[in-house]
Amino acid sequence: MAAAAAEATTDGGGKMIILISADGKRFEVTEAVASQSQLISNMIEDDCTENGVRLPNVDGDILTMVVDYCNMHAGDAAAAGDTMKASSTEEELKKFDAELVQALENPVLFKLILAANFLNIKSLLDMTCQRVADMMSGKTPEQMRETFSIENDFTPEEEAAIRQENAWAFDD
Amino acid sequence: MPAKRNQKQRRRQIRAQNELIRWCKRKGSPCQHGDSRAVKTMRRSTPYPCLPEDIWHHIHSQMPMRDAARAACLSRTFLQSWRSHPNLILNKDTIGLNASACGGNFSRKVDHIMRNHSGIGVKIFRLEYLGVVGFDASRYLDSWLQVVVKPGIEELTLVLCKTKREYNFPCSLLSDGIQNSIRYLRLDWCALRPTAELGPLQSLTSLRLRSVSIRGEELQCLLSNSPALEQLRISSCTEIVCLKIPCSLQKLSNLTVIGCDSLKVLENKAPNLSSFFVSGCSNLRILENKTPNLSSFFCRGVGAKLSLGETLKMKKLGMGRANAVHYARAELPSIMPNLETLNIRSGPEVQQRSMEHESVFAKSSGLRQIPENRHDSLKTVKISGFCSAKSLVELTCYILKNVVSLESLTLDTIHGDCRCYLKTSPFCNHIEEDILMEAPRALSAIRRYIEKIVPTTVKLTVLEPCSRCHAKGLQRISC
Repeated sequence: MAAAAAEATTDGGGKMIILISADGKRFEVTEAVASQSQLISNMIEDDCTENGVRLPNVDGDILTMVVDYCNMHAGDAAAAGDTMKASSTEEELKKFDAELVQALENPVLFKLILAANFLNIKSLLDMTCQRVADMMSGKTPEQMRETFSIENDFTPEEEAAIRQENAWAFDD
Repeated sequence: MPAKRNQKQRRRQIRAQNELIRWCKRKGSPCQHGDSRAVKTMRRSTPYPCLPEDIWHHIHSQMPMRDAARAACLSRTFLQSWRSHPNLILNKDTIGLNASACGGNFSRKVDHIMRNHSGIGVKIFRLEYLGVVGFDASRYLDSWLQVVVKPGIEELTLVLCKTKREYNFPCSLLSDGIQNSIRYLRLDWCALRPTAELGPLQSLTSLRLRSVSIRGEELQCLLSNSPALEQLRISSCTEIVCLKIPCSLQKLSNLTVIGCDSLKVLENKAPNLSSFFVSGCSNLRILENKTPNLSSFFCRGVGAKLSLGETLKMKKLGMGRANAVHYARAELPSIMPNLETLNIRSGPEVQQRSMEHESVFAKSSGLRQIPENRHDSLKTVKISGFCSAKSLVELTCYILKNVVSLESLTLDTIHGDCRCYLKTSPFCNHIEEDILMEAPRALSAIRRYIEKIVPTTVKLTVLEPCSRCHAKGLQRISC
């Protein structure tokens, strides 16, 4: 435990880690940035990031977004040790987050959600899921299915029964 | 220790490797993520990756109630997710009733939802009878609470309405298994009678009771079982005569007590209290606080004997009590060197109706000196109900001369926060004529005694009666 603590202090998050995407793109990030992913944080703790971390299910363009997000939000996590990095204000972060997800086409948004889930970055997962929830709100079931390509696996009778059960949600 | 750590490390390595291997194998068939079923997507030109069921469940839980209920019709996954929706926020807005909807209609809809809910996984149960009067929901409540109050629940809010027959909250619910999960408890308009059998609520950080029938000793029983409590708000709980906050509440930082008419003694021993708000407890006689960390204190409509103990850390002080001016004059100079904001609302002591203090314009007048004492932290001072009482003028002069750090002084010659000309409300508060009559004298006292000693570094704001809202009263006075 003591050794780990000493290492963290001397490095100050400065040690670099290489992330390698499915299509072979390499991203060099600091430990502090990468540690926002709980998956990578565990790997760092177990010293198995020496030869780079291969992420065979995350494409380069998605990983670019994830790395941007982590760079932007690194201030939150590293605030205690590095006050300069914490200078991104809450408002700036909100604006950055909104811009990150707003322009995405839905399939790309889904890929980002999957990456956040796999890498276990809770704040990114929450934010992207909230975006989908917001986009589904105010729509009819047909519009929701159309927007997110969701297959209806009910029989017509079953669907009618569930609509009846939730009729209150369809009143104007 | 090293062997143990190595073992743990090895296990983790294997887990991380396995995870990667699993993903490599699945490349091209991401639908099989995890062990759960995924939501199937329709075939179309742009390929949609499939989200695993637990992610859809997460998304679904973030949707507002009506949208989430409509989404139940999408597919079996969504239906299952709706049956265990974790955030049940039930009020007129979320259920979508119009303003004229009565309590019965609302209750029937809620009952419909509750009957179809599995009761699994509820984190928030918030039921609010807003804008409803006299509807007795007790015949439903027991069964609803049976469904949702289970281990894992974090927030329980019951905002009921005033009824002839009061709902008796079943305290046994607080003992069964939810002791480690419940964090927020808010009850309005019901009876709460905890007994010694109540176990400790280890995670409860916020407790709000409004118009709840609970006696002082019953509340104390609840408090002594809430070691993690950070915020406590008690309003209009008229059975409480004596409220003693025990020192075992080490984390309590915010305490608010409003409109508890029977309350006579309020004593706080929670050591880390930083914000203390007391208002409208007309029978409160003794108010004691023995905590050095208090940084914000607000007290209004209370005639109690104050004992605040050490107040070195006090930064915000608000007072609107019978003898606030006397207190501020006597105590302010010495006890709160770090005060940054002071709001005083003058009480009856200096008002016209029962003016105990002489007007500055009375014959015998001459300003008395308050012993001088430098303040270099106080930045903002507001005095509401400023009139020509000598004590108020003296206090204001004292502040202007001694508070070297002062940046802003507001003198409000009438009462109330609603002002159309400050755009805080479409209309100004109604003002009694005797206060309106005093306003010109207050203004002339400001001109004569105060304006000339305001340093250039201080922004003086004087709030006068409104020429629009108070016009009729002003006209009558001038006649």
